Amino acid sequence: MRIDQEKCSGCGICIPYCPANAITIVNKKAQIDEDECFECGNCSRIRVVRCPKKAFFEQPGLYEGTRAARKFFSDPMTTHSVTKIPGRGTEEVKTNDVTGRVVRGQIGIAIEMGRPCLGTNMEQVEQMTVALGKLGIEFEEMNPLTHLMEDREKGTIKPEYMNEKMVSAIIEFGIPVSQMVPVMDVIKEVAKELDTVFSLDMIYRFEEDGSLPIVPVLEEMGIRVRKNSKVNLGLGRPVVTR
Amino acid sequence: MTHSLHRRGTEESLKDDYVLLVTSAYGFNHEGSKDKMRKVLEEVFAEEPANIGSYDTGTILSGVDIQEIRDALNDVPRVRCSFSTKEKMLAVLKKIKELDQGMSVTVSGLTEEVLDMAKELEIKPHCINLSLEVWGNVEKLPSEEVLELVTMCGHGLISSGLVEDCIEKVKKGRMTTRDAAIKISHPCVCGIYNPDRAEKLLEKYVPLKEEELA
Ligand code: SF4
Ligand code: SF4
Repeated sequence: MRIDQEKCSGCGICIPYCPANAITIVNKKAQIDEDECFECGNCSRIRVVRCPKKAFFEQPGLYEGTRAARKFFSDPMTTHSVTKIPGRGTEEVKTNDVTGRVVRGQIGIAIEMGRPCLGTNMEQVEQMTVALGKLGIEFEEMNPLTHLMEDREKGTIKPEYMNEKMVSAIIEFGIPVSQMVPVMDVIKEVAKELDTVFSLDMIYRFEEDGSLPIVPVLEEMGIRVRKNSKVNLGLGRPVVTR
Repeated sequence: MTHSLHRRGTEESLKDDYVLLVTSAYGFNHEGSKDKMRKVLEEVFAEEPANIGSYDTGTILSGVDIQEIRDALNDVPRVRCSFSTKEKMLAVLKKIKELDQGMSVTVSGLTEEVLDMAKELEIKPHCINLSLEVWGNVEKLPSEEVLELVTMCGHGLISSGLVEDCIEKVKKGRMTTRDAAIKISHPCVCGIYNPDRAEKLLEKYVPLKEEELA
């Protein structure tokens, strides 16, 4: 994002809105640190910041270079060119009753790198994906991050994307329940080395009797399952019964 | 990906907070689903959600009206909103079930409460997305009070700076808790942020007395 220096009055209204803390006042004008900016679009929205001088504008060519990754991963008002899904590119549990991506005997895992608050760069994402690659993880095809990988088996990210930063990037994959313990152990190990944070999700298909036998297993591993969650009610069609 | 499952807060505070997502699945049932979703949208709106919006327009809290949200439904249509009571959430789910449009429906909230609603409506839930906490360098995160408000936007667009700025203004008596709750809502464009819950969270910041401000 850029600010038209001729238009900006230096009022400072926009500053607290930036999730990257990338806006500062220099010589009585607001300026954006382009290296820090996530291209989330917050500041330029007329119903969010409401810049009185309409000074924000997108840099030309934003969608052509690697910087587009910042936009697609940070701005929910874009539709990702690969998955065609509005928002940031995956539907995880939201449509699982229709798509059947996670079936019984499997679990879906989503690791949202950078969330909450801190954001992430691709280097930190790769720390996690490479560690998971060693376990033979198959990354989710319908997830935009998978498409930035140089080698999907190894989990390496294309070098040209390494300097990109975003609000968050979601690593997504499915595994058989039997692989859960080693995978969670790796996730916990990488967590210790990261400079950022991640929110961890686990998608699980209810058993026929409505139970969730995975919960006590997680608790035994010392992983806290929060009291709030997202439940897919199974009203979609075609309902996947597997 | 609206990560509504990662809302932080106490059980007491989360029990009056539900997020409803109705979603068409790209490549499976998205084609021709716009009219179906419009019907769902109308029923949802009739139950007076605390907030509703869309990726394409923004939310009612930022000045968008329901007609705009309706007109802007795109080719992979979806409904995103929040409710502040279990009764309303239940009433909406009942209507959606009756409408039977075949779109996927998820509700985020306290698991026990959501499953209880499903039972009452004789709905058999399909799957669950469990929140397994935040990991990594958590020492860099802002305070839990700030996180409770920040995490109400599933896309991480509410900055801690905005929340801290609003809390400061409430403390100085320069902003009401309601105005602060609405201002913080604006970056959450899809409408899952719950302003009623936010207002309650902000009520602990009573304006300081003059001598305390000095
Ligand atoms: S809100 Fe607009 S005019 Fe005010 S400092 Fe920011 S860019 Fe400049
Ligand atoms: S686009 Fe987002 S990250 Fe970049 S300056 Fe604007 S608010 Fe900050």
